Amino acid sequence: MKQKILDIQSLKKNYGKGSNQTKALNGITFQVIEGEFLGIMGSSGSGKTTLLNCIATAIHPTEGRILLKGEDIGRFKGRRLADYRGKRIGYLFQNFELLDNLTGRENILLPPAIHNIPEKEGNVRLKVLAEYLEIEEILDKFPSQMSGGQKQRVAAARAMILTPEIVLADEPTGALDTKNAKSLMEKLSLLNQEEQSTILMVTHDCNAASYCSRILFIQDGKIFHELRRKYPQESQQQFYERILMVMAQLGGGSANVL
Amino acid sequence: MFFNLVLKNSRKNRKENGLFFASLIVSIIAFYIILSLENQDVMKFLLKMESDAVNRIYQLLPALYGVSLVLLFFLVYFAGRYQMELRSHELGMYLMMGMRRLRMFVMLMAEDFFHSLFALLVGIPAAVFLSEMISLITAKLVGLGIIGHSFGFSWKAVLWTVVGFILIKSAAMLIFCISVMRKEVVSLLADTQEEKQKVKRPVIYYLELLLGLLLLAGAYYLAIQGKAWEDVKNMGLTLFLGSLGTVLLFRGGGMILELLLKIRKQKRGLWTFTFRQLQENVFLRPGSLAVSSLLILAALCCFGYGVSVSSQANGKEIHTVDYTFVGKKDAVEKELEAAGVRDRFAQMIEVRAGMADQEMPFSCEKLIRAADSLEESEEKANVVESLGFFTSPYYISLSGYNQLLGLAGKEPIELKDHQVALYSDDDFYSGKRLEILEAMLLKMPTVKIGSTSYQLTSEMYQTNFVVDRSITVALGVIVPDSLYDQIVTINDTTYLDAVLDSNLVKEKGLMQAMQSVNQRLDQTQLQYESYLQNMGRQLFYQVALGYITIYLAVIFLIIANTVMGVQYLMHQQKTGRRYRTLIRLGSSYKSLCASSNRQIRWYFGLPVVVAVISSFFGVRALFTGFLTESIRTMGPLLFKISGAMILFIVVVELIYISAVMRLGIRQILRRMDSKREE
Repeated sequence: MKQKILDIQSLKKNYGKGSNQTKALNGITFQVIEGEFLGIMGSSGSGKTTLLNCIATAIHPTEGRILLKGEDIGRFKGRRLADYRGKRIGYLFQNFELLDNLTGRENILLPPAIHNIPEKEGNVRLKVLAEYLEIEEILDKFPSQMSGGQKQRVAAARAMILTPEIVLADEPTGALDTKNAKSLMEKLSLLNQEEQSTILMVTHDCNAASYCSRILFIQDGKIFHELRRKYPQESQQQFYERILMVMAQLGGGSANVL
Repeated sequence: MFFNLVLKNSRKNRKENGLFFASLIVSIIAFYIILSLENQDVMKFLLKMESDAVNRIYQLLPALYGVSLVLLFFLVYFAGRYQMELRSHELGMYLMMGMRRLRMFVMLMAEDFFHSLFALLVGIPAAVFLSEMISLITAKLVGLGIIGHSFGFSWKAVLWTVVGFILIKSAAMLIFCISVMRKEVVSLLADTQEEKQKVKRPVIYYLELLLGLLLLAGAYYLAIQGKAWEDVKNMGLTLFLGSLGTVLLFRGGGMILELLLKIRKQKRGLWTFTFRQLQENVFLRPGSLAVSSLLILAALCCFGYGVSVSSQANGKEIHTVDYTFVGKKDAVEKELEAAGVRDRFAQMIEVRAGMADQEMPFSCEKLIRAADSLEESEEKANVVESLGFFTSPYYISLSGYNQLLGLAGKEPIELKDHQVALYSDDDFYSGKRLEILEAMLLKMPTVKIGSTSYQLTSEMYQTNFVVDRSITVALGVIVPDSLYDQIVTINDTTYLDAVLDSNLVKEKGLMQAMQSVNQRLDQTQLQYESYLQNMGRQLFYQVALGYITIYLAVIFLIIANTVMGVQYLMHQQKTGRRYRTLIRLGSSYKSLCASSNRQIRWYFGLPVVVAVISSFFGVRALFTGFLTESIRTMGPLLFKISGAMILFIVVVELIYISAVMRLGIRQILRRMDSKREE
């Protein structure tokens, strides 16, 4: 039986006060299992980025709890909070967020340096990840000398260098062309399968979502639908078509639930 | 509504760029102080004593003011340009919301006007206060306190300060406005683009670094060897090599950081990030770092040289008499009686000096030959050459000179038969030159007056026989009165040296006693000079040198520091996103702040260290080229004082650096604030 990594319990996040209040998250509950590749989809303003930001501790939820392996991350402070952000979760940004005055290698080795992990250890892991993500050739280049796809793969290596318990990906293909997006998703999927990395990805892109094993659809701050890929009989193409169908229904509200 | 927006923006700009605002206030203060120089007590006093020289300084002031304006224009331009870049998005939004370009132009100019007005409202009162303080302190330091202080507010200085300040601010703003008006809305709206560094091949950086070091070494060599002072071409070459060397050093300097990055094995924490940030700063702006370093060097040289020399420019002459009248004792006494001041003088000594005619030729050939056995040196050649012109000396009568020596508490001269003594002015013979002349006298040489040989005493006499400059005799011969009467036929003048009554001096103080006597003497026909003139000249050197060098040093320092400080903080603001990413990667605020502090220490440290090293050569070069003979003898003391001054400026820099560090941290925390959840 696989372990529960993340447990989101009745999560609420409100913005504004009184009549101006907006419920970005309205009591969301779900779990993420170890080694799972979970996708979160929804239209703009559905609350998916707020959810990711809550998990990444970039914002405080109004109500509810987020448990990482049973520990309430809302109680993390100081050193423990910094460790959580850097070591226990990996974050993949839509705009890569690479430090453009550092080389690829330096960017990837930044989390081990911040968390005082011996460089040797970091280098061993770097070698493995660089091979998986095919970035060996560009490690000593600066971000300005890389293509968008290369930048995102370097960012992925940085997110995974400390073998985090879960990788949070916020629209990782958002700034990439189709070819680079496909290549990135293949690499992430490979890492998920080979290394049993747990990935939670927020995306708009049905193609990217088709690499996930499960997808939660969010609307108005609530879970509106859930899709699971049926292994092994369902192909990626079939799963993609099912996702498209749900996305087509999303605009119509709960009356169109499949 | 529009007015409110202007006021709000102006306030916001002031708060966001406090460092720049503070620099503007300091420059207003500096402007006012230099422009109101004539209202300073000490300058008022000097105008009476040394009116020609003081007026010449006043003529120099507009040029100094003009140069400062140009320099400050660059400061305003640099700092303002970054501020405008940061506001680019905001300005684009105004245009998108339908603001007409002309209205935006008016808004920006009005904002700047209020900004300047506020700076002037704070700066002028502070300047007037500081100027008064300086006036009081300098008056006290030079002993003028008793003459009385008068409030020295100068409308003229205020007017020119305001005009100059508004002029440079508006000119800079006009340039910014025109460039903003010409831009497309979309390029204004685009978030401030991070500057891209041009990546050159490493070998080019190394070559630049090497060439920079070589050129600097060349400039240092020319400077300390004194070759720079030989002619204008050499001076130009030294300055060119030094400046170009510094620029190249900074252009290639980023490679030193690259090497440090490679050598360092343990790269824990934000070490790599810190050095990459720093390297980016150095690579992006080698020019302004080099200029800042050169400006700090100029400030260090001005301050080190100016303060040390002006502090030593006084007190070198021993003050024995208070007045020198030209004329016989009886005649002068009569006039003094008539003016009612005879009783104010305690002692009067007659010293006669004059020249011989061609029938009494003078020769010092044997004295010159006495130098033959001395070690060859530049100074010796110099002394021998000057003795070559010693053909018609001034003769000084022994009796009067001996009385003067007695008054100074020195042993009188006892001349044997056929013996005379050598007199020299210490402005002409001091230090090494004096030593050489004294060594020559020890050889017992003779001089010839007419056809008779006279042996020179082994000692040389330098006690001035007039109080100031009634007469300046570079080299003279002290002869017995009988011989004097026999040979002197030309310019035979009696100098009557007088000492003020000690009770009067005790009662009123020397300065005021002299001033009161001078007032009476000015109404008589008497030709006289007092110690006040002598003191006035020394004071003039001190004050002119002190004021001008300190003023320039302050202006240079303000510009260098503001350019560096503002550029650094703006760069930090532009790259603020990186700090946010670091937080997301789990970096603590403490380590971010430590990284920011380290970056600032290095960023300021590099130009300051280069400037301090260069300043040792610069000050030394100034000492080689710009010192009078008598001050040069104080070499080691001057070096100590200038060293202390350089240290003082370094301390000022450290204080400034710590202020920038605080601002840097505040900026990081403010930027993170919205995202902080700790």
